[in-house]
Amino acid sequence: MLGEPKLKILLDLITSSSKEELVWMNCYISNIVANGTKESASSSAASVNSPTGKKITIAYGTETGNSKRMAAELAAKAKKIGVNAKVVSLDQYRLNDLTKEEYFLTVISTQGEGEPPTAAKKFYDHIHNNGFRLEKLKYSVLALGDTSYPLFCKAGEDVDTQLQKLGGERLVPIQKCDLDYDTDAQNWFETILRYLNNNNAVANATVTVSPAVAKKVNTKKQYTGTVLTNINLNDKGSAKSTYHIEIAAEGLEYEPGDSIGIVPKNPMLAAESILTLTGTMADKNIIYRDISYTALELLQNKLNISHLTDRVVKRYASVTGQEIDVPVSDLYTLLKTFPLKDNTQLEEVLGILNPIAPRLYTVASAPAAHNEEMHITVARDVFEVNNEERIGVCSAFLGDIKIEDPISFFVQKNKRFKLPAADKDIIMIGPGTGIAAFRSFIAERDATGANGKNWLFFGEQHFATDFLYQTEIQGWVETGVLTRANVAFSRDQEKKVYVQHKITKHGKDFYQWLQDGAYLYICGSKEPMSVDVEQTILEVIELFGGKTKEEAVQYLSQMEEEGRYSKDVY
Amino acid sequence: MSAKDNLSGIEKIKTASDGLRGTLKESLQDELTGAIREDDQAVIKFHGMYQQDDRDRREERAEKKLDRLYSYMIRLRLPGGFLTPDKWIAAHEIAGENSTGVIKITTRQTIQLHGIIKSHIKPTIQAFNEAKLDSIATCGDINRNVMCSAHPKQSPIHEQVFAYADRISTLLMPKTRAYYEIWLDNEQLLDKKEETDPLYKDRYLPRKFKIGIAIPPNNDIDILTNDLGLIAIIENNQLIGFNIAVGGGLSTTHGNHDTYARLGTVIGFVEGEEKTLKTIYEVLTVQRDNGNRSDRKLARLKYTLDRMGVDSFKAELEKRIGFALQPARPFSFNQRSDYYGWQKNDKGDWFFTALVENGRVLDNEQQALKTALLEIAKTGTANFRFTGNQNIMVSDVAEKDKTIINEILERFNVAQYTESASLIRKNAMACVALPTCPLALAEAQRYLPSLLTQIEALLGKHQLDNEAIIIRMTGCPNGCARPYAAEIGFVGTAMGRYNLHLGGDRQGTRLNKLYKESLNESAILGELDNLFGLFKKDRHKEEGFGDYAIRKEWVK
Repeated sequence: MLGEPKLKILLDLITSSSKEELVWMNCYISNIVANGTKESASSSAASVNSPTGKKITIAYGTETGNSKRMAAELAAKAKKIGVNAKVVSLDQYRLNDLTKEEYFLTVISTQGEGEPPTAAKKFYDHIHNNGFRLEKLKYSVLALGDTSYPLFCKAGEDVDTQLQKLGGERLVPIQKCDLDYDTDAQNWFETILRYLNNNNAVANATVTVSPAVAKKVNTKKQYTGTVLTNINLNDKGSAKSTYHIEIAAEGLEYEPGDSIGIVPKNPMLAAESILTLTGTMADKNIIYRDISYTALELLQNKLNISHLTDRVVKRYASVTGQEIDVPVSDLYTLLKTFPLKDNTQLEEVLGILNPIAPRLYTVASAPAAHNEEMHITVARDVFEVNNEERIGVCSAFLGDIKIEDPISFFVQKNKRFKLPAADKDIIMIGPGTGIAAFRSFIAERDATGANGKNWLFFGEQHFATDFLYQTEIQGWVETGVLTRANVAFSRDQEKKVYVQHKITKHGKDFYQWLQDGAYLYICGSKEPMSVDVEQTILEVIELFGGKTKEEAVQYLSQMEEEGRYSKDVY
Repeated sequence: MSAKDNLSGIEKIKTASDGLRGTLKESLQDELTGAIREDDQAVIKFHGMYQQDDRDRREERAEKKLDRLYSYMIRLRLPGGFLTPDKWIAAHEIAGENSTGVIKITTRQTIQLHGIIKSHIKPTIQAFNEAKLDSIATCGDINRNVMCSAHPKQSPIHEQVFAYADRISTLLMPKTRAYYEIWLDNEQLLDKKEETDPLYKDRYLPRKFKIGIAIPPNNDIDILTNDLGLIAIIENNQLIGFNIAVGGGLSTTHGNHDTYARLGTVIGFVEGEEKTLKTIYEVLTVQRDNGNRSDRKLARLKYTLDRMGVDSFKAELEKRIGFALQPARPFSFNQRSDYYGWQKNDKGDWFFTALVENGRVLDNEQQALKTALLEIAKTGTANFRFTGNQNIMVSDVAEKDKTIINEILERFNVAQYTESASLIRKNAMACVALPTCPLALAEAQRYLPSLLTQIEALLGKHQLDNEAIIIRMTGCPNGCARPYAAEIGFVGTAMGRYNLHLGGDRQGTRLNKLYKESLNESAILGELDNLFGLFKKDRHKEEGFGDYAIRKEWVK
């Protein structure tokens, strides 16, 4: 149809254009055709319809690194089509800049109690303090969460609501994502990019967005198991208690690397003391979120009475008409210090409380090795609140659980933390309870006769009392399942020795394993362990690979992209 | 004689150990276990250590998926049991840093620390080395710590005799540099000829070898229980030489009738340092060349001696030393007790012997002994000596310093505790046994104190409180606390059960014999109640309980 010269120009243009440019051109031409006038189409396409030149900010609030990873991925995608995307962590974001923003995307996860991640706390509080308007702001929220928690994506919802209250204009509705967030997140971002391209009305955008995940609390398959064993793995004299709990259940489906979610119960005593304090009968019926429970059942099995969020305390203050200016974290103290107007108010107060959230524990057993059983490794979680020693509800619950006790749980898949093919070598770094994942990995490889080499790094405080699963690890070394095992005990000598020091010590071999294609795993505490370990690994790559700092970082991210570097840190 | 092809496993380990190096370096590097390799467990003894594990914790740890709680006991080489104050301070600090904190005085006049985990062995030995202390050859098939009558007040020639302990110890040290290489990171020897060992060669001795020196009339170190005993002969306040006693040794094995306890046989007299040392050296070579190397239960010198016959043994020895032993000189012992409390020697220096129950130096509700000794050491005005009865002597205190030292002893209740302890407690001994000793069949040091309390009550009942009866207990028949040389000996057979031995004399020149087998506590107390009653009623004046038991033929 086109004459030779025109066709040549067009073909030249096509061959020299990127895919994105072609997409844009396609869009541009359709606009011209649709609007019938070359002039108007030309001007609008060039100045407005092109996303090129637009500035967007992607701000993330992350606890485990997922939000950060997602934000970075989205920004890279935007840049490829010429959108100027700035990525910033919410804890480094200048709050004053908010009023100047035009396109502002938030990627934010939610913690167990519906709280924002620590890194997003400042931002979260700032937008809840009103007192300013965000008339220019066009925003959208990508909320990461876990549907097994009752307050699914709560922090993201709060941010979304609040930005609107402050006058912001919602580009596209909030996208709430479960743990397998990739597809939902990509779709959400595509919609935004389309919007930026079309500058279309906000309201219409809703139809094009894949619907937000429904609030499907505990839709994961619930198992009821029986406790077979509960042993404290630490010996007398240890500062720690780490429980090895074996649970038998039928029809279990899980893989090494998965987690199990458990909703703890409150101690009977704690529930009863609240009943006594408020003169409430244990069998009194109370409606909580449309379901009727007895008061005791509610206090013992349903409600988080030991770690109240600020929001809950604030609402308690307004319900009871008191000013609460001291930090209070548990319901009993709250009721005792700031009593109800009268005891009939209890039902209303209980309505304010959050349900108990499940805790996730990386599975320590392997389907191939431990038939119809799941094992977990639970560290007794001791921390301080207002200078008082407290014990985490779930670790206290599990620590006290008895043989033969029934226990409910669900399996939480973790696709990002899986054993590679049987012939691949693996390096496992799992100090403390991080060993759980690798007890599972090694047991699975042992039982299935996988022929890849296995190298384990483990660390704890003291050799004599804290060497978790020592005899099993010794056994695996003797039978050759573990090709190598190195352990570090930080407090057995004056100078602390951690797993990363052992990695450094064996750096040459460590690098060689990576060069030979080994898969690398880290499991355990996020900070400082995983940060320090990663730093050390980078140094080892730098030193033994003869690389610059940047090249080492590149080497590790390359591994990550290839799925050869995975972390399960908490 | 043992045929070459019938050598015991330990013999093979010794000769293959490359001068007692074994694979200790590799064993130390194994991060996953607190144990060392099996062969190294035999080798490490020659470096003064035993691998042990807390037997109380075995079962529970297995459930916790934890390996046995392995640790190491380290024993110092202290000929004659002497420490300067700076060395005591070092031992005190090292004990606190790396072990259970208890300093254990052994039945052979040295100290040992328990509960050192594998990764702490090297720091411990290095710290000892800095204080000029070592643990070379305090265990293993080799000459052990050399004992010497402890109390300087014993004789003006004490110092002269005491010096022999050091000389003998040095003479009989192994030549290998392994200790320095493994524990102190010294350079490896390039030329192994430098450590050629004409005494021990590559096989060392067939079994442990114990040497002691006694100064009559006190037999505080149980001289006749040693493989080789030197009895100082003193005439006109001059040391003229030593009687030589060979073939003492107490260890036996339950149910093995070929094993027996034996007191040393005096075979003659030597004079002069050169001849004395030559004789000692060649007793070792005779044992080295003639001892049983296929059955370790029959390998001590006592069996070699009895197999060869005393005369042939003596002839072989004289052939090797190149001179004839003189006839033994007369000597006599009259006791084995320590001289408790303050005593003065001929030079006017003061000595305070404190009771240390079962040799365990620690602070407890009775006395803050460990703190007191540290305070005393810090004054720098007293040395420390250990006795064969597991007690400690604050020694060589000048007249002018005595008040200060005494004030410390009183402040921490040490003086009062020693003063008020019963005679039987002052003369009692027990071995370590459970939980760390791998051989123990029954409790000993953890149990004897409470049993003594009950025996004290029985003695009180029969108005025998002033009887210094010697009571000793071991958790197995190996005899570490010398129970066969006690007037009342308890030898563990199973948890809570003991063979009761009677009839040893107070001087340590007669062994006791088995009276009743495998008694539990109530049976023990029942028997003793009855026997004490008979003794009280019927004894001759000044007659000891052990002597009475023999006269009455309670044991045969």
